[in-house]
Amino acid sequence: MTETQVQPNPLLDGLGPRRAPEPCVLVIFGASGDLTHRKIFPSLYSLACRKLLPEKFAIIGAARSQWTDDEFRDQMEHAVREFGRDDFKPEVWNWLAEATRYLSLDFSDESRENELSTLLNEIDEERGTRGNRVYYFAVPPQAMPTLVRELGERRTTEGWTRLIVEKPFGYDLASARELTELIGKHFAENEVFRIDHYLGKETVQNMLALRFANGIFEPIWNRQFVDHIQITVAETLGIEGRADYYEHAGAIRDIFQNHLLQLVALTAMEPPIDFTAESVRNEKVKVLKAMPTPGPRQVVRGQYGPGYIDGKEAVGYRDEEKVDPASMTDTFIAAKLYVDNWRWADTPIYVRLGKRLARRETTIAIQFKRAPHPPFEDATTEELQPNLLLVHVQPDEGVSLAIGAKVPGQGMRIRTVHMDFLYGGAFRTELPDAYERLILDAMLGDQTLFTRSDEVEEQWSLVDAVVAAWARDRPAFPNYAAGTWGPAAGDELIRREGREWLRH
Amino acid sequence: MAAPLSATHAHVEEWSGEDVAVDDVVRALCRLREESAHETEGPDLRTSVMTHMAWVPSEWEEAAVETLAGLGERHPSRGILLFPEPDAEDGIDATVRMLAFPLREQRRHIAAEVVSLRLRGLSTRAAASIVNPLLVPGLPVFLRWRGRPPFGQPEADDLIQVCDRFIGDSGEWPDVPDAYAELPFESTAVSDIAWRRTEPWRRELAGLWPEIAEIGKLGVRGPLAEATLLAGWLRSRLDRDIELEHYEADSLDGVEIDGSECPTPVERLSGSDLLSAELDEFGRDRVYEAAAERAAV
Repeated sequence: MTETQVQPNPLLDGLGPRRAPEPCVLVIFGASGDLTHRKIFPSLYSLACRKLLPEKFAIIGAARSQWTDDEFRDQMEHAVREFGRDDFKPEVWNWLAEATRYLSLDFSDESRENELSTLLNEIDEERGTRGNRVYYFAVPPQAMPTLVRELGERRTTEGWTRLIVEKPFGYDLASARELTELIGKHFAENEVFRIDHYLGKETVQNMLALRFANGIFEPIWNRQFVDHIQITVAETLGIEGRADYYEHAGAIRDIFQNHLLQLVALTAMEPPIDFTAESVRNEKVKVLKAMPTPGPRQVVRGQYGPGYIDGKEAVGYRDEEKVDPASMTDTFIAAKLYVDNWRWADTPIYVRLGKRLARRETTIAIQFKRAPHPPFEDATTEELQPNLLLVHVQPDEGVSLAIGAKVPGQGMRIRTVHMDFLYGGAFRTELPDAYERLILDAMLGDQTLFTRSDEVEEQWSLVDAVVAAWARDRPAFPNYAAGTWGPAAGDELIRREGREWLRH
Repeated sequence: MAAPLSATHAHVEEWSGEDVAVDDVVRALCRLREESAHETEGPDLRTSVMTHMAWVPSEWEEAAVETLAGLGERHPSRGILLFPEPDAEDGIDATVRMLAFPLREQRRHIAAEVVSLRLRGLSTRAAASIVNPLLVPGLPVFLRWRGRPPFGQPEADDLIQVCDRFIGDSGEWPDVPDAYAELPFESTAVSDIAWRRTEPWRRELAGLWPEIAEIGKLGVRGPLAEATLLAGWLRSRLDRDIELEHYEADSLDGVEIDGSECPTPVERLSGSDLLSAELDEFGRDRVYEAAAERAAV
């Protein structure tokens, strides 16, 4: 038998890959919700402004609300005007609106799933979307199983299918596995895109560029040169009316399980062999597997009481609407973590996260060891701090390096100065919203910035172990005032080892 | 002198002088940056990714400033605009502008430097010696040349030696395709904005593979530069003789393969987009070099 040799296309030389998705329909379940208004539709509009959406494209908003197509379009136009990062351009909006339909759908009414299939087929005919589907689950976790089952049972062999799943992916390890199993009955792992929107942030991706595109950092990115790492995910906001969710989740499930552990993994991971989804995620999973469960003395939890934010009074967590007045839900976590591998053995990673803290910021701080033998008198260097590399994830996205420099003048006095690289400043361009990048990547089938099932399971496994230990004690909540940096025990956690939290 | 490059900057510090020396310009750059420190908590941040030179004969001044205005947001750089006046009395007039762009949630600003030099008389022939002290050390130098560069003449060749990438627009040259034979491929990496304009069409044509492999005649409705480059590209990539049938038009708006219309791409790029794309390129573009070489055949 002779093999037919496929000749490569010589006209593609030098053109480079074009990040243009194939024709498809994006179905948003939970289309009347806050996420669709604030993030999903404004992101789709920004993608449309940059002509990054496929030419043959359609959106179906699906939710319980009884809206018509036009009512839904009106709602989304308001959302784009209010939350979009681009100026409103009627010609772009008209294109997007024309591609948008709405389906009033009760997720618990399985019989109405047929209406969706009918509408999808109709759109394929009209717009040439070739049976390609992206299903975006912007719905509460309890709505997921029905949707997955119904969509799975009705999937056809025509075109490709991708599911975008919002966090939380499960409530604990058991429920996450259950959900993975259910999805796995109908969809392959490479069809599932679990969103952790932190991974869509430019500065989080820049962490990979900083580490693996610069020869100067990687050789010192290890236990020999790094004294410790601090990761802070601080919010000034409270729970913003989300008591139903937050009372069950707490800070540990809302932030620690996903965003924070992702930041730890990206900071500590080994260089991947390439930037493909599997290589990057393999390295992140290795970090999570190497993290021992922190002991009870290495985790501090807190809950905010009344205080002041931006000069205004803020109520305590237990006084928030719909919150149990005796709630024991955590709104703050501080922990000392380790990654037990060759690179990081015995190097503490201090993390803290919480609501109603003193300032909104997400930073990763790499604190290097002091110079071994500064040849200066002690008095000349008393203001000198060890070198510090600060990655500002938000706000003021960028990187600062603290170095010692001579103070101008007679004699030798050395103090710490910061060299700043401000991300938005260097490139003078508005950073795209994380959702823009992630929605586009899902349409393109690129899973690099999405969480894999084994990654989620490792995260839950760590969280379950931490939470299990909490059953044995009952802290005196509230234990920090809104507008501060958390409970005193959080400071003690790091201070007892002769270190301090950074005041950035 | 040229107008400020962007309307979005918070404020402009400016220095100008007539009959100046290059040292005066260097000192002015330092002084303006130091002065920016008085108002805020430190000097304005300077985060350049390149030195961006532009050689702008008077007839291109307006168009050049308009294009550069669309770039300030995307490519932070030290801009050096050279306005040659070979017939004027010898000397250099200079304006140095420090444009301060506001930063979200920051009191400090990002500074962009724009040096405009009017090169009079003899100084037009020694431009390289004037710009050398003004280049930002360690960063790539891009040279945008408006109009037809006099390749082989000192004023062009010396500046080309200084730069890492030469960016022209053969659509501005009256003698294409012959001019392609003079391109300085051995001295520096070369970009051609006319070539960039053909990119959406090249993508469409690439989509016609493998049927397009047997093409005999290419019809192009558009400027001559783009038409000859497309023909050169197909000849070089497919390694065959292809006849070009050219219909003059202001923009590239139709391509035929052996009489059949090629699908029209939707992508349309502005002048700033086109130059911006070239400023993101660093290495030699071998595909362009081969296309330019066979454009005239």
